[in-house]
Amino acid sequence: MSYTLRGRIQSRLAAAVSPLVVALALQRWWAIELVALMLAIQLVLDLVYDRLLAYQPAWLALPLGALELGLVYGAVRALDVMWPLGWMLALFGIAWLSGQIFAHAIFPRARLEYGESGGELGRVGAATAVAVAVTLVGGLGAAYAVRPPTVHLHGTVQGPLVIDHAETLVGGVVRGGIVVRASHVTLKHVTVVGGQYGVDVEHAQHVMIDHVRVVRPVLDGIRALDAGVMISDCSVTSPAGGLVTGILISYSMGRPMSMVEGCTIAGTREGIATHSSAVSVMNNHVVGTTERGILLGEMSMDMATHNTVEGAKGIGIICMDHSMCEIEHNTVAATQPDGNQDPTRGGVGIEAFFYAEAKLSHNTVIASPGGMRAFDNSIFTSTLPGM
Amino acid sequence: MRIAIVGSGLASLAAYATLRHRGVPAEEIAVFGTHEDPLEVWRGRAAAIRQTRMRSESEGHLGAAAWPGLALHERDPRAWLATAANRYHPPVALFLRHAERVVARTGWERSFVQRRVERLAAVDGGFELDGDGPFRHVLLATGHPGLARPIPGAVHAYEPHDYAPQVTIVGAGMAAAHEWLNALAAGSEVVSVRRREPTRRPLNVPRPLLTKRGLDAYHRSSPEEHAATLRTLSQPSYPPGARWDEPLRAAEREGRFKVAAEVNGAPQVICATGFLEGFSHDPLLARLVAEHDLPTHDRWIVLAPDSTVPALTNGRTLTIAGVAGQWAFPAADTIAGAKYAARAFARRCRTR
Repeated sequence: MSYTLRGRIQSRLAAAVSPLVVALALQRWWAIELVALMLAIQLVLDLVYDRLLAYQPAWLALPLGALELGLVYGAVRALDVMWPLGWMLALFGIAWLSGQIFAHAIFPRARLEYGESGGELGRVGAATAVAVAVTLVGGLGAAYAVRPPTVHLHGTVQGPLVIDHAETLVGGVVRGGIVVRASHVTLKHVTVVGGQYGVDVEHAQHVMIDHVRVVRPVLDGIRALDAGVMISDCSVTSPAGGLVTGILISYSMGRPMSMVEGCTIAGTREGIATHSSAVSVMNNHVVGTTERGILLGEMSMDMATHNTVEGAKGIGIICMDHSMCEIEHNTVAATQPDGNQDPTRGGVGIEAFFYAEAKLSHNTVIASPGGMRAFDNSIFTSTLPGM
Repeated sequence: MRIAIVGSGLASLAAYATLRHRGVPAEEIAVFGTHEDPLEVWRGRAAAIRQTRMRSESEGHLGAAAWPGLALHERDPRAWLATAANRYHPPVALFLRHAERVVARTGWERSFVQRRVERLAAVDGGFELDGDGPFRHVLLATGHPGLARPIPGAVHAYEPHDYAPQVTIVGAGMAAAHEWLNALAAGSEVVSVRRREPTRRPLNVPRPLLTKRGLDAYHRSSPEEHAATLRTLSQPSYPPGARWDEPLRAAEREGRFKVAAEVNGAPQVICATGFLEGFSHDPLLARLVAEHDLPTHDRWIVLAPDSTVPALTNGRTLTIAGVAGQWAFPAADTIAGAKYAARAFARRCRTR
């Protein structure tokens, strides 16, 4: 097809009907924002394509699609927004595929002159393109108008700070902990000092905890109970007592999948623990725990990938109590026996315990006398020799 | 009847299929031509040069809508992949089967009138064809006005023929390329006589000239530039690719294929020299131009970008499709060109 610039833009906007419908059906502002971001990038690229491509063969849709996906992903990272990656890819895929179907089948059937018009759609198509543009702009405007308020903290606030409505909290220091009791809450670049729990999330979802630092918590650094949370680039250090868990996510099976990514946890009893939840634990660094580095337990369905666990006493990573875990590409080093003569806590790098099933691959266990072991009717499965 | 199509070849069939797709009843259309089977002439020419694949790509079919193309009819994923890479050239047999379905599906025979039209006259409310009418909208698709045979007595590539042990083939376009390979495959020694080296081009014209992107600039150009473009594009060309080159290189190495500037007295001379060029070779068009004093430039009738004759299109429509419509669309003598004129014509016919 030899598109004209107008043809490219009209075709692009009209074909965006499909992802827009999906985004509207999801009833999530981020979905509309994502479609708008995709379209904005693609429309800018259309200006470039128009200069470079006098003729665009059908196969070129694949590399151009890959380029556009890369740019969208890069923009998402640059904008520092936390949209769910799976949905993002799905929406992009729907947009790309529907673009192909529209360009190669629907438009040529609906408008016989489509090809020779360089992708221009005539009055009806132009009206559709305008409607898509208006819907997106209107959607973005509405999203902007009803977006959760953003509160910038300056200096130190005495807590506990209770958040009971959708809100974005940015910056500052909170003493005594933060309690989240509402969905669609975002905490960014906040330092929390002390408190029973550094951050306590209950009965909420779509809670984002980004670049949050918790110092000296009494019980848990970050606790999520019956909640869906996305935790990234956090740190939990200097526990105030011997029973602290760095991040605890429990009884959240009915909520959207949670994620813990890029966090550093040092000196707690347990680093990251899940109970009856579905959590993706990845790219975290857990150091010097006194009982277990990463615990995936109580019928959880979790993934632990690309984590580093160093100097744990007792156990590095454990999948336990009827859980099903995927443990891949982790490094566990210098795990030490906890001194109780119990082989299940004897410096085991990776362990499955009590009717648990752990699928292992590409893990590295160094200087851990207990190695990798399954106890009490548990099993390891692996697709690779050496696991 | 308010619509007439003059001519009974592929361009006429494309126009007829487009009108029917747009919902024009067969009873409102009269097709005047000399062949009840609109494929007859084209089929004979393709058979004469033993053509097995179309030069056009997937959209080179007669359906009104571009999709689905012929590649989808193949039910072969390799054809689908090839069409995405512009490497799919439909088999001639598949094209003909598809064209026969179009003939049957559109009810062509209900509109067909076997008659050669000698004269078209503009009258109040439309046009009269040899006194019949008036027809408010007329599309002329009279086809090529005859075979170009620069050497008297020689067989033309588009006429049935076999190959002698020594063959001289005059010309360097698509038909000539077929003939070189045919004669070599038949075991002949071939001398290719050509005035210039052929252009290697996948399609008859560069792809942007098939769409608005290239056509806008073409339509804005001066008449002299228009004519220069058409003259350049009418130089002989055939597609690049090993399918054409390897047999010729192998035959050259064996001394069975040579290029010469003049006919050298070989026992068989085949003229792969295409067709007579220009409206003046077509009696109906020549008379139309003369009687209505239509503007022309060189060998072309000057047309509007939508393939209509501006002086005679005012509440009525006179469209010229096929090779005589090149002023509006340089590839007018292809299926894409026939459909270009047909779509514009059908848009005007919707105005009752």
